[in-house]
Amino acid sequence: MTTNRRWWSGMLATEDWWSVWIGLGIFALGLASLLGLDLVGWMARPRPWEWTDLTGAFAWSKLFTPAGARYAGWHPLVSFAATYVVFTALFALGARCMRLDVRRFVVGFSALFVVTWAAWIVGNELHLTMVDATVDGRNRYSEAGLSWGLQLGEGAPYLLALLAGLALGNFGKTFAAKRLSEAARAEWYIKTAIVFLGVNLGAQTLDASGFAGELILTGAAATFVAYLFFWPIVYFAARRLFGFKRDVAAVVASGISVCGASAAIATGGAIRAKPIIPVTVSMVVVIFAMLELIILPGLYTALAPDQPIVNGAALGMTVKTDGADAAAGALLDQLMIARNLQLTGARWQEGWILSASLLTKIWIDVFIGVWAFVLAIVWIKKVEKRSDAVRVGPMEIWFRFPKFVLGYAVAWAVFFGIASAWPALAPTLEQGTAVVAGPMRTMLFMLTFVAMGALTDFSKLKGLGKIALLYGLALVVVIAPIAYVVAYLFHRGLTPPLVAP
Amino acid sequence: MSVRELVLSFERDRWRAAGEGVDVVHGDLRGLETLLEAQLGGEAPIDVHLKFDMASMPRWLHQYQGHYCNYTLHVGRRPGRSGRA
Repeated sequence: MTTNRRWWSGMLATEDWWSVWIGLGIFALGLASLLGLDLVGWMARPRPWEWTDLTGAFAWSKLFTPAGARYAGWHPLVSFAATYVVFTALFALGARCMRLDVRRFVVGFSALFVVTWAAWIVGNELHLTMVDATVDGRNRYSEAGLSWGLQLGEGAPYLLALLAGLALGNFGKTFAAKRLSEAARAEWYIKTAIVFLGVNLGAQTLDASGFAGELILTGAAATFVAYLFFWPIVYFAARRLFGFKRDVAAVVASGISVCGASAAIATGGAIRAKPIIPVTVSMVVVIFAMLELIILPGLYTALAPDQPIVNGAALGMTVKTDGADAAAGALLDQLMIARNLQLTGARWQEGWILSASLLTKIWIDVFIGVWAFVLAIVWIKKVEKRSDAVRVGPMEIWFRFPKFVLGYAVAWAVFFGIASAWPALAPTLEQGTAVVAGPMRTMLFMLTFVAMGALTDFSKLKGLGKIALLYGLALVVVIAPIAYVVAYLFHRGLTPPLVAP
Repeated sequence: MSVRELVLSFERDRWRAAGEGVDVVHGDLRGLETLLEAQLGGEAPIDVHLKFDMASMPRWLHQYQGHYCNYTLHVGRRPGRSGRA
């Protein structure tokens, strides 16, 4: 039985909390750098490679190496094995506490891990990543002797991971359902990665506090747009144009306007709708989120290559579910950086576009508990008129609060606090946590792409009729255009800082 | 006022409230609450805390939201029984 009875309920039994424990645990290992210890440098990281160079004289070290300098003497395969063992053990521990089938989880996780790494390594081949641009008088594309290239930058591994996952989910349905489903937990991986991103935000705040502060504050404005603008429009359309009952319309409106499956379930619970309603809406949300992830980063990059922060923030308001939003933000980040490099020869710093997308979404997430509580009160008093008999406690707000946000905030506050209080320690801190914020975070993003793809079966859209139609219409006619206009009003002309020469 | 704590679940298109010697089932939540009021009316006034069991939601959904709903049903004295509303 899994019920929330006390404020601490679920601390060892939900993915949300386990993303906090794993994320902060590894971050704490990174902090050991302040004591002169490197406890995270064993992590493997792929290297850029070119296939003719590899076929000439094969060496594992051309494909990946340990991330930390102190582990440079390790054989790449030992580093890879350590990466596999540590992450498998941590997630399996969480799976055990959540009473999942640990054996099935480890089998599924191992398969996802292999696919992830295959996509990550292949995606670092220079014909996929290298951008034809002259930077500081050097053109590495020409220097590498490339005659052609897709020029996708670091977005190439993400796209490959997504394609691999979708191939599994749509052409290997039986395998995905039997072998991968227990471990294909995209939200868990992305929430853990978001905790790691707290380190990135800390570094960004340190480097450009005004810009980071602006992103944080304007993210809050998106909350008003989602709850007070999108929601009423979609609810009204669901009632008047599609003839949905009040409870279905409310759940659909939350799913489409606010934060996807999470909001649909929270709203369904708040208005005490039959669980089949949020379950159905969530199925639609998950499939559309995947479509948004596939289409929007490339579309925004093509249409507005000079508006990186606008594109990021618009994405955060448009793409539902944390996994799809963060994944789309990461993909947009890399595609925009590559495109700008191609067009101008200037390289933007990584992570700012992703932060614009993520901070927008996190603010929306944070208020879902409050929104559901308000809806519950309105429903009891105005719709059911049962305020004499039914009461809902404010503790519901806490139960619905996304706990991974706490991990993100703690990682940011600890990093920024230490670096601000003891500036002399800042370089050591940045260096020590670079593996956490870099390859570890990227690997979890890659795992998210594969896991999301593996669980997305587009054929399920067939039976979802009117809800899917409403979702599609609302997305194209209301959510995406308004989100873009609002993001443009706040962020037009803003660009990430340039990478120092 | 006495208090009961029951587990609320949703099984095969029906709501169920169970625990502390109570086990009622109904297709509609309002109907379930009416059954509870009838069964526990003798103990009125009573607060029935209903805690939703997430195990009755599909497992793949738990990653998005680990909580559905908890609420309290207040069963008051019936006018005919106690003379008070």
